[in-house]
Amino acid sequence: MNDLIEKLRQRFEEDFATITGMESWKAVRDKYLARESGVITTELKKLRDLPKDQRPAFGQAMNQLRALAEERLQEKYAAAKAAELTAKQRHIDVTRPGFPFALGSAHPIKKLQAEIEQAFVKLGFQVMNLHEIEKEYYNFEALNMPRNHPARDAQDTFYLDETMLLRSHCTSVDVHAMETILPPIRAVTTGKVYRRDPADATHSPMFHQVDVVVVEEGITMGDMKGMLEAFLKQIFHPNIQMRLRPGFFPFVEPGAEVDISCIFCSGKGCPKCKQSGWIEILGAGMVHPKVLRMSGLDDSRYSGFAWGLGIDRVAILKYGVDDIRLFFENDLRFLKQF
Amino acid sequence: MKISLEWLQEYVEIKESPEKLKEDLSMIGLLVETIAEAPGTSVLEVEVTSNRPDCLSYIGIAREVAALYRRPLKRPPQQEHLHAASERIPYRIEVRDEDLCPRYVALVLDGIRVGASPAWMHRRLEAAGMRPVNNIVDITNYVLLEMGHPLHAFDFDLLRGGKIVVSRARPGELMETLDGVQRELDGEMLLINDGEGSVGIAGVMGGLNSEISLSTTRVLLESAYFNPTSVRRTSKKLGLSTEASYRFERGADWENTVPAIARSCYLIEQLAGGSIAGSLQDVYPGRKEPAKIRLRQKNASALLGVELSGEFIESTLRRLEFAVEACGKDTWNVTCPTYRADMELEADLIEELARFYGYQNIPATLPPSKGVGSHSPVYGIEQAVREILIGQGYSEAVNLSFALEPDHADFAPLHGERIAIKNPLTEDTQYMRTALAPGLVRSAKRNFNYDQHLVRLFEIGKVYGAGPDGSPVERNVLGILGTGGFTDQNWVNPAAEYNFFHLKGVLAALLNGIRIRSFEIVPTDEVGWLNSSESAVLKINGEAVGVLGAVSVPLDEKYKLRQPVYLAEIDFERLLPVAFSPISYEPLAKYPSVKRDMSIVVDRDLAYQNIRQGILELAIPELTELDLIDIYEGEKIPAGKLSMTLRLTFQDREKTLTVDRVQGFIDTVLSYLSNTFKAGLRSL
Repeated sequence: MNDLIEKLRQRFEEDFATITGMESWKAVRDKYLARESGVITTELKKLRDLPKDQRPAFGQAMNQLRALAEERLQEKYAAAKAAELTAKQRHIDVTRPGFPFALGSAHPIKKLQAEIEQAFVKLGFQVMNLHEIEKEYYNFEALNMPRNHPARDAQDTFYLDETMLLRSHCTSVDVHAMETILPPIRAVTTGKVYRRDPADATHSPMFHQVDVVVVEEGITMGDMKGMLEAFLKQIFHPNIQMRLRPGFFPFVEPGAEVDISCIFCSGKGCPKCKQSGWIEILGAGMVHPKVLRMSGLDDSRYSGFAWGLGIDRVAILKYGVDDIRLFFENDLRFLKQF
Repeated sequence: MKISLEWLQEYVEIKESPEKLKEDLSMIGLLVETIAEAPGTSVLEVEVTSNRPDCLSYIGIAREVAALYRRPLKRPPQQEHLHAASERIPYRIEVRDEDLCPRYVALVLDGIRVGASPAWMHRRLEAAGMRPVNNIVDITNYVLLEMGHPLHAFDFDLLRGGKIVVSRARPGELMETLDGVQRELDGEMLLINDGEGSVGIAGVMGGLNSEISLSTTRVLLESAYFNPTSVRRTSKKLGLSTEASYRFERGADWENTVPAIARSCYLIEQLAGGSIAGSLQDVYPGRKEPAKIRLRQKNASALLGVELSGEFIESTLRRLEFAVEACGKDTWNVTCPTYRADMELEADLIEELARFYGYQNIPATLPPSKGVGSHSPVYGIEQAVREILIGQGYSEAVNLSFALEPDHADFAPLHGERIAIKNPLTEDTQYMRTALAPGLVRSAKRNFNYDQHLVRLFEIGKVYGAGPDGSPVERNVLGILGTGGFTDQNWVNPAAEYNFFHLKGVLAALLNGIRIRSFEIVPTDEVGWLNSSESAVLKINGEAVGVLGAVSVPLDEKYKLRQPVYLAEIDFERLLPVAFSPISYEPLAKYPSVKRDMSIVVDRDLAYQNIRQGILELAIPELTELDLIDIYEGEKIPAGKLSMTLRLTFQDREKTLTVDRVQGFIDTVLSYLSNTFKAGLRSL
């Protein structure tokens, strides 16, 4: 009897030693321990054929053998499982390039345009993006630039006929805002403007502007400075400095030229700012009383400010673009950089 | 205006360095662009805005410097007595068109020796950018620069009638100006005549016939005030801008006419040896009054946002030579100098106060918010479209809004006439674009030229046309362009060429992304610039809102594209009312769905849309999805046929579907396909 058990044990140990993975582990387990056909199970079933007095000892010995087999198998389970999982892994060269999913890019000017609009909406402004084909009246007369005004020289304009033109600035929208909104007015417009400038590195017959108008009771030039500063810091950098100088635009009085500290040299002086430390960035001022009146507003009750700046110019400064024409050529080598 | 510091010192003391002066002038509105070094002096390039003609002179700049540094202004010597001891040369001044010439002052000198002007004058004129000619011409130029008032000297012996007549030209009249150009005049241009004919264009340029020469001994000096609008119109029309016209059109000082002539007389007597032979004549029929403006301290403080003292207001204005007279509490009547053509309203005076208070000293404040901001109506959809397309690999383009002559015919839009520009710059700016397609195609071509053949672009921009009543209409349009490989060549998947279905797919993804749920893309052959067999119309609620397809073969050749280019052009504004349909949550199905694939063999030219439409019209409620997952054409099926593999997804929201029910649905579909299209299952 003991021989039989010892032989069984030896056979189990031999088979056990062959286990290399989950498959052979399962085969050994089933060979010895399967409920119906396992070697140990089958031997145990022979118990009832033995004489009664031998049964307890045989049973005990066989049960010990079964416990031993179970214990040994259990020990090996983790290693066998690990070997199985390892076998399932795929082997690849992770240094090969990933799939070339394409990602496009936003146009730098359009992106800035959206950012600017977003900034003003947060400041409580209404975005009014109106038509580019404009009546001469709104582009000039209503802005205190009658026919033959010298200031018109700076804005050589495309005309469609005697009275219609391509707006030469977004300021025309300020007039529409003042005509249609009851104060308090906080309106901003962004869009394309046109001038008869032959295209070169710094000129394009089409470019983009943002124009802002605020009209309320009690608006001061200090308010204009405060809002300008908030806006310029948001668009450029929180650390930039701003300065206002007297300037002339027929539709504002007092008028101002607005400079920011040079973003290339932080105001120390470099070729880009002609060593001055400042870069002229926009024109601003308190809405001219005549403009208020022509727009149907009482200039003794309301005051306001307006300013306008070139979005392309901001992009040129922000990204160091050296030729404005690049914005309108749609060369992917350019666009992909934004 | 070029300002030499050596010369400027003549009128005001300057202790500051050129750099300091540059900074200080800029901060009171006289922007100094650069400082140049000239022999013995520094020259400031001062940018004078068009509202300040008074600063187009040395005295004008000196006046600002004097006011800024609180120093006295030194005026140059002039001849105080402008009368001839005996009228050796009688002459007559006749102003016929007073509206264009409110004041005309003249003086005649004789005994003049024309020659070179002295070295110091040469140096100063050259530093200011002027070319010396002879002492008489140089003196008029010198006084122009010094005092800002344009003068003209005629050779009196060349004035044929011995008189000056100021009147409008005869239409079509010809005259040769000092620059030797023959000019044709119109009836609105003001001329200076000598009784026989024209000798100068008023305020613009003198005539060659009365030019000062080395033999000149007798001179008539003119110092006039001409109507600014008239001078500007004449100058523009003739395309002739001069130092004189530049000042007259911005507004000269009518009170400066006599001082300017007195100063010139002094210099001529000193440098050219002449003396007065015909007394000063001053034709000044209607006296022009200086501007008078009421200024209130309260208004000034309110507009600037700073408290200004009465003392500051009075002293600032007085330093700038305004006459200030108190009238009531904190209110003044201010009489403006006549050289300040820009003074009209209280706000103009307030700007003077702000200039000298210093813009930099006004504290920045923020007005309290009065409401909630709002975006433009297209903002939301534009941003969404931009994000989706960028995510799909398309880059945003911006093309100029102009169009070339052939664009309209090549890329005929769905509707409308084009708008022409009356004064185009070049042939590139003759028309406003009626479609985005031409610009996008040219952009693609540009990229091809730089060896970039995989191009994905989109543009959201306006197109322009004439409305039914002829008035201009602007519409926002979305253009999408795709060409080249579907992806860059890569090792993961074999290269595929971009085709119609990529464009159609991105359009469908875009419409889904902006929650436009129901749309149709139906074949069309009506778009001339697209291949008729590769083009479709996008319809929403039965209405055409855009087109998509492959650029036609003739255009392909014309633009030398050499690779298929796919384009979509969508009327952006028509998407607005249907985009962003409300989101309504549908509970998730509790029971599993069943998918079945079937390969059917049909005639090659049967459109998939017919099959799909027909199956959907069977109205099997459990059929939730129908997809075309494969197409096969080849040896394994009869010629003229193709095999489509359809994937049908069934779902019953109430209970689990049984195999028998699904088979029932499949049988229904198959018998429909067989009866309607003679389609049979493909035998494997």
